[in-house]
Amino acid sequence: MMLALVRPDSWNFPLFLHVLGAGVLVGAVGATVIIATRAPTLRRLLVGTIGFLVLPAWVLMRFAGQWIDSREDIPGDPSWLGVGFIVGDAGLVLLVVTALIAWWGLRRPERRWPVRAVAVISGLYLIALFVAMWAMTTKPD
Amino acid sequence: MNKYDWLLFLHVTGAFLVLGGAVMAGTFNFAALKRERPSEVAVLFRLARVAVAAIGAGLGLTLIFGLWLVHNVGYGWSQTWIVLALVLWVLASAMGGIGGGREKQTRELAERLAAEGDAPSQELSARLRDPVWLALSWGSGAVVIAILALMIWKPGA
Repeated sequence: MMLALVRPDSWNFPLFLHVLGAGVLVGAVGATVIIATRAPTLRRLLVGTIGFLVLPAWVLMRFAGQWIDSREDIPGDPSWLGVGFIVGDAGLVLLVVTALIAWWGLRRPERRWPVRAVAVISGLYLIALFVAMWAMTTKPD
Repeated sequence: MNKYDWLLFLHVTGAFLVLGGAVMAGTFNFAALKRERPSEVAVLFRLARVAVAAIGAGLGLTLIFGLWLVHNVGYGWSQTWIVLALVLWVLASAMGGIGGGREKQTRELAERLAAEGDAPSQELSARLRDPVWLALSWGSGAVVIAILALMIWKPGA
């Protein structure tokens, strides 16, 4: 068991950045869901949270993840890594769509659907992030 | 999944709740600093209560399953990173707890002012910019990041 927990020192910094980025991303997406569901009138805060917190956190998580992937040189194509890539890369598309919808909602304050859509998409992505966290942590197969 | 996988998953889930909760709380507190109307401040501080709940649950999960992991893996209890992590866990909990208490008082003040006409208040503004509260709130977040670094580097392991 101990051998499985030992990793080269050179992996530590990118891993730290990857986990930090993922943690901040979870919090930022969580904040987005809370604002959209509990304070839907705070549309400027919603757009600001996505633009200045969610997207930068995604960049940190994804690029640091790529950095450590290049260091580890994992053989084969394990499913846990595939889950991480899917949630990461498909997540960017979802987050950009979410940002555009939130921005649209800011320009059309009389319409309620944009904030609801942001709540649904962000909520689903939050669940996906926890699934990815489970896969990356337990590494099934 | 074996026992170690479950313990690690629940421990990491707790860590993400703490870190994510700290980010949520920081987001709402930062937004509150830019508001003058008590009703807006009160709304943001009510949102922060969800973050506080996430942080509390996460702190419990990290401690319970972290200690269980140490026992399960066979790490020595006196290893530097484990002792430091426990000390910092207590520090982060204490700082967050004291800061949370001051936050509750600020929320109650904002709610009272909102009910009394919702006019900007110097007292509320001063409370929001109280350096002790800011140091406790942001400092506890910095301690959480330090614990994360300890978990990655594991000095003394």
